[in-house]
Amino acid sequence: MSPTDLIPLLPILTLAVFAVIGILIIAFRRDHRAAMLLTAGGFALALGSAFFAHPTQPRQITPLFIADSYASFYSALILITGLIITLLSYNYLRSFSDHQEEYYVLLLLAGLGALILVMSDHFASFFLGLETLSVSLYTLIAYPHFQKHRIEASIKYLILAEATAAFMLFGMALVYSVEGTLSFAKLSVDPRDSTILLAGWGLLTVGIGFKLALVPFHFWTPDVYQGAPAPVTALIATVSKGAVFALMLRYFTRVNFYDNTNLWQMFALIAILSMLFGNLLALFQKNLKRILAYSSISHLGYLMVAFLASGAFAPQAVAFYFVAYFITTLCAFGVITLLSSYEKEMEDLAEYRGLYKRHPRLAIILGIAMLSLAGLPPTAGLVGKIYLAGAGVSDGLWALLIVLVISSIIGVFYYMRVLYVLFRAPAEEKPRLQISQFGRAILLFLLVLLVGLGLYPAPLMKLVTLAVTGLR
Amino acid sequence: MTAIPLTHGLLLAGGLFVLGMVGLVVRRNIFFILLSLEIMFNAAGLAFVIAGQSWNQVDGQIMFLFILTVAASEVSIGLALVLQLYHHYKTVNVDIASDLRDSPKQFASPYED
Repeated sequence: MSPTDLIPLLPILTLAVFAVIGILIIAFRRDHRAAMLLTAGGFALALGSAFFAHPTQPRQITPLFIADSYASFYSALILITGLIITLLSYNYLRSFSDHQEEYYVLLLLAGLGALILVMSDHFASFFLGLETLSVSLYTLIAYPHFQKHRIEASIKYLILAEATAAFMLFGMALVYSVEGTLSFAKLSVDPRDSTILLAGWGLLTVGIGFKLALVPFHFWTPDVYQGAPAPVTALIATVSKGAVFALMLRYFTRVNFYDNTNLWQMFALIAILSMLFGNLLALFQKNLKRILAYSSISHLGYLMVAFLASGAFAPQAVAFYFVAYFITTLCAFGVITLLSSYEKEMEDLAEYRGLYKRHPRLAIILGIAMLSLAGLPPTAGLVGKIYLAGAGVSDGLWALLIVLVISSIIGVFYYMRVLYVLFRAPAEEKPRLQISQFGRAILLFLLVLLVGLGLYPAPLMKLVTLAVTGLR
Repeated sequence: MTAIPLTHGLLLAGGLFVLGMVGLVVRRNIFFILLSLEIMFNAAGLAFVIAGQSWNQVDGQIMFLFILTVAASEVSIGLALVLQLYHHYKTVNVDIASDLRDSPKQFASPYED
């Protein structure tokens, strides 16, 4: 490893250094605003270094990491998301009595884990990145530790995440015992029908399926979404899933998974179940965070359709859809975050009745986020869904596409219900809500992106085409 | 000295793993759940060491070191959560913490006010 190899790793190093600085500053002086600014600065600097350090050619850095445009694209997406979540958290934590500062260090560490995941090319970095992300998330979920449902959510997440991580590790060990290498680059799905190998792949799928909350590994999702503080829920919904999906796509492309029909059929079944169950269960929810949890299950199911398509177009579709999904999710959870504080979260759908009367702008932002989740114009969600369908069509996955369409139609029903609630006359007169200027500005920015990409997606299309070249 | 065949080692690791999994499913005390998780992690670590040995590589043992480190950090968070669980519920039985779920009331009629 030469010193120039460190340059593509700059985003990772920046986050790590800022996390250490953050901890050291807390040891001397506690200051909420300074901790927030330091973390925001860390994310911004890492983002800048991701542009600066972007390699022209894919570059292997030690056996553990690979730096290419694919990794840079997802790194930038994760860092921007991290920055927005940091800014949104500030108001949310403001009334927190003490010890607000460590929260921001944990955000940096979660971002660090996610960056390691998208750059990893080896089982060791995969495992370490995943655990850095998970361990930060357990703590973030239980951060307001004096509320018992947070503790419950954290315990549920910890037990299930660790159990599935153990499954995944055992799967890695089995794959290693057959293949004799831990590096993705040297692995390939063996045409031999080895039972041990197939068992290994199956166990690995459990771990990945859990992180992506795919049916049948989705049981934690609604509980953790509801129990976690709203900005942390946004982090789980975006960064954690995006990083793992990016890694999964790279990994399974590298090992030529599309030649193995057994595995392919297993993933197809998972995709179909996720699309249907997610949307069907969301119909019966009264809690906005639980609705979004079930909706995320089906959205990851949609993404699986593009994952299963073997064409060169599929990674583009995934990348575009993730950008749209990240923006939409941040919009939706951003509104929830601004309306909540850690003491009292506004999560019951009934509380949103007549939000339009109380705060028109927030209601419109949440409404447009719902349109985007439903895949309706004029939002980026629609373009993303067309992309996914295009990836499926180009590979002739008709059965999966039919399920996608049916599931989307079911989905429209409950998204429209949220819209209906938002614009209804309120049950009783309530005062207008006061929302910080700063938070509104962030949401307005997200809204402009969401609608802008829906009306004029060409620049992002170009970007994702560039980003995934070289992957297939 | 004859080497232990790979399959024997993997069977041992698999047996340990299943033991941990059964413990995880059967036990309701959070201490035993954390112990079972530890057993599962170590079973995976053992499988790594055995696989590395059969390929004459050190990679398996390095992975085991990583697993040990991660398991330690995970269990420290787990124990902190045990303290909080006991603080709120005065018990270490995890079944008691079940406020978050799809309640039957929710299923009844989400469409009326």
